[in-house]
Amino acid sequence: MIHTVIADDEVLARQKLRVLLTAEPDLEIVGEGANGIETTQLVRETHPELLFLDIRMPGMDGFDILEALSVDASESIPKIIFTTAYDSYAIRAFAINAVDYLLKPFTAERLHAAVERAREYLRLVNQTPVPTRDQAASAKRFISRIVFKSRGRILFLPVSDIRCICAEENYVRLSTEHETHLLRETMGRIEEKLDPETFLRVHRSYMVNLQFLKEVRTEKSGELVVVLADGKKVPMSRTYKARMHDLLQG
Amino acid sequence: MTLKERFKARSRPLIMHPAIFVGSFLLVSLLFATQQWVAAEVWYPRMKVRLLVVASGWAVQYLVWAVCCWTLWFWIGPSLQKANWSYLLMRMLPLSVVLSVGVEMVLAAAFPQFPLGAKPMTFLERLDFGLTDEFLGNMTIFWSVILALRALGYYEESREKERALSQLAVELTQAQMQALRMQINPHFLFNTMNSISSLMQTDVRAADSMLEQLSSMLRITLERGSKQLIRMGEEFEFIELYLALQERRYAGRVHQSVSIEPQLYDALVPAMLLQPLVENAYVHGLSRINTGGILEIEARRDRQRLLVTVRNNGTGLRNGSEPRNGRMGGVGLTNIKNRLQLHFKSDQSLEIREVAPNMVQVEVSIPLVFSDVRETTLVGYGAS
Repeated sequence: MIHTVIADDEVLARQKLRVLLTAEPDLEIVGEGANGIETTQLVRETHPELLFLDIRMPGMDGFDILEALSVDASESIPKIIFTTAYDSYAIRAFAINAVDYLLKPFTAERLHAAVERAREYLRLVNQTPVPTRDQAASAKRFISRIVFKSRGRILFLPVSDIRCICAEENYVRLSTEHETHLLRETMGRIEEKLDPETFLRVHRSYMVNLQFLKEVRTEKSGELVVVLADGKKVPMSRTYKARMHDLLQG
Repeated sequence: MTLKERFKARSRPLIMHPAIFVGSFLLVSLLFATQQWVAAEVWYPRMKVRLLVVASGWAVQYLVWAVCCWTLWFWIGPSLQKANWSYLLMRMLPLSVVLSVGVEMVLAAAFPQFPLGAKPMTFLERLDFGLTDEFLGNMTIFWSVILALRALGYYEESREKERALSQLAVELTQAQMQALRMQINPHFLFNTMNSISSLMQTDVRAADSMLEQLSSMLRITLERGSKQLIRMGEEFEFIELYLALQERRYAGRVHQSVSIEPQLYDALVPAMLLQPLVENAYVHGLSRINTGGILEIEARRDRQRLLVTVRNNGTGLRNGSEPRNGRMGGVGLTNIKNRLQLHFKSDQSLEIREVAPNMVQVEVSIPLVFSDVRETTLVGYGAS
């Protein structure tokens, strides 16, 4: 069971979370706080693993609460999902490693995705209490998630959700299961940031996530294509095929 | 412009009114004459120089200059005010030499008694004497006037720019108000709310996501603040949200297609350019047919121009309430027209026509300019 606390100064906002979270059987709401002091006390008493945190509340804001909690070193701080109407705190939230950042009003799906992410986080914490030195090093070198704004929403996108990346002039288009997002970035720069064990450059303008790679085949027209698990085809060039060959051999 | 109108236009600012202009020239000539007469009285009292003679010489010289300069102003005033270096060198420099010599010729012809105190000279000798003495002075008079006019041009130009900028701000505020109104007027907000309300009974998830999209649009609109020109990518992101909402409302009645050349993501367009065009396509065209609607939005490059087109196969120009060619109706279109005019002067066009039976196309053409500001929207990377 994931013990959860909801912190929001508005009754209806808390109610929305409470009702929607009944759809998550492994979540148990152990308390609700309507302001900073209440929330801080609640977290100290109930030691939740997950905290839904509004940012603007009377008295202390969400970040103040986290600061107050982190003063006590023995206290383990819960995983945080921010829920707020303001998008200006996104970078700060990302920097303190929040699980997600939900802009109000959010949909049930968006909430579900955030909870799903929190589960992964908690699973990770339980499985590998201390990362080995290699892992720590690779974690430092390669990014594991990206924060950006897309169509008026804030996304803390885990790179593992990205299926393929396509270059469009000065931009790259990231494709996930249901959506695509445009990011002002060059292919070269994003390739540097991503773990080559996971993301493979298959073409001057394409990279694919090996997790979602189904096969490489030659079309009737003689063109090489990479087929992803969802059936999407991505062109592949000969030069990059040779490199992949080396990679598989090695 | 009739001569009378032109005369009126050239009489402003006040100093350029012919009476005041010529008057101030004569005043200056009188000053010089007095100075010369006083100097003569003090240094050469025996010469008995008469003030009237000296003054008439100066006055004629300045009068001729005043008339020449004002005529020039009357004739080619605006080009003088916009003159660049090559115009000044290629046209004004030769003219200044010709006029300087010409004025001396007039003086030599008009005053056979000059130079005072010397023995009588022939016309050519007087001209030679006058040129040696006065050529630089004449040039100075001419160029002072020309440069002053040019400076006046600069001043007016910058004032004009300032005025255009403030007007632009007002227009943009209107566009923003309009974008907000689109969410607050019966055409959009109430209908969208009604759809959400209806969906709440049948499909909570759909209602949920529609509400989220509506909020995102509002958020983007507010966030843009008073930015005049935005990147095409941002404009399309906004329009995609709008299209998603319309898609839900028109549930399969309209097939939407959006295409933008990737190289144009960073091209600059006036903020809120597309939404009124797309809204028009729905209101005046697509909302009037029951099925098989087509909406195509396209941004493409044509050499150094950026072309944005919105096409719909609603009811055509004749049947719909779409404004006729040449006559722009509707607050939305007028606002776009005005803003295009303010941003790009005459280097832009907005054209509405029927490209095929019932297929109405609005095409906006503006100069292609890319944003040189490195991405300022939020993007960050992190390892956890």
